[in-house]
Amino acid sequence: MDDHEYEQLLQYAKQFSGVTDDMENTLQGLYGRVKPHMAEVTDSFYAVLLDIPKAKPFLVERIDALRETHIKWLESVFSGPFDLIYVKAMYRVGDVHVKAKLPVEFMAGSMALVTTRLHQLLGTIFKDDPKQLMESVTAVDAILGFTLMVMQQSYESSRLAEELEKFLKITGMSRTLFDNLASAYKE
Amino acid sequence: MREDMLASILSDLNGSSADIEASAVISTDGLIMASLLPANLDEDRVGAMSAAMLSLGDRTASELTRGSLEMVLIKGSQGYVVMTHAGEEAVVSVQAKSSAKLGLVFLDIKRAAEAISKVI
Repeated sequence: MDDHEYEQLLQYAKQFSGVTDDMENTLQGLYGRVKPHMAEVTDSFYAVLLDIPKAKPFLVERIDALRETHIKWLESVFSGPFDLIYVKAMYRVGDVHVKAKLPVEFMAGSMALVTTRLHQLLGTIFKDDPKQLMESVTAVDAILGFTLMVMQQSYESSRLAEELEKFLKITGMSRTLFDNLASAYKE
Repeated sequence: MREDMLASILSDLNGSSADIEASAVISTDGLIMASLLPANLDEDRVGAMSAAMLSLGDRTASELTRGSLEMVLIKGSQGYVVMTHAGEEAVVSVQAKSSAKLGLVFLDIKRAAEAISKVI
C-alpha cells in the first residue's frame, strides 16, 4: 500500500467508526487515569485468551513479548494521534496475524475482550460521573472500531495475497500473466 | 517486421485448412504478438486465457507425470481450442471447427509453432 491508499483507508475507517477530534481529545485526557491500569487490563485480557483452547497455542511461548506490545498499543489508544502512522502500525498487525496463521475471528474476539475490560475500568473511574463515562465509552468504542477495521482490511489483503501466491505456485502462472489475465477481465 | 512475419505465419496457418477459424501468437505472459481473430473475440482475453491454460497444462503434465507438455486441447460443443508452445517465449492458440480433422490441424499447428519460434 502506498501513502495515498493508507490515507484513503484512514478516512474510510474514521467515517465508519465515527472517530472525531473531540473523541481523540477525550482519550488523551483519559491517559493519566487509565495508564496505571493498563498492565492489569492486559493481564486480564491474556488470562481470558489463554483459557481459549484454540488461542492458547498461539500465545503461550511468547506471552511476555505480546503483553508488552499490548500495553504499548493501549498507550497509543489513549494518546493518539490516529493518523497515518497509527493506521500503518495497525495495518501491520493484521498482516502479522496472517503470517502467524491466526484465525480471523481472533481480531474481533480480542477487540471485544479489550472493549469489555476498558468499559469495566471506565465504569470504575467514572462511577459518579455518568456524562463523562458516556463520553469516554463512546470514544473508546469508536477508536477500537476504527482499529479493528484497519486490521481486518489488512488481514483480508494479506490473506488474499498469500492465497494468490499459493495459486500462482500451484498453476505455474507468473505474476505478470496473472495480472494480464485479471486486466483482460477488468470490468 | 517480426509482427508482419508472425501475421504471415498465422495467415498461412488459417489458410492451410478450412477447419481453422482463428489463431494467435501470444507471449508466455499472455500478451498478443499477432492474431487473426474474429471481431467478436477480445484479443486481450484470448491472449491471457490461452497463456494461462498452457501454463496450467505444463503444471498438469508435470504433476501427473505425463512428461513435457505438447499441447492443450479444449473441446467445446462449438469446436476446439488448441494451444501449444512456440519456442520458450511464445504460445500459439488456434480455434477450429467441431468437425475439424484434428490430425491435420495438429500438424499445421506444429509447423506454424516451429516457424514462429524461429522468428521470435
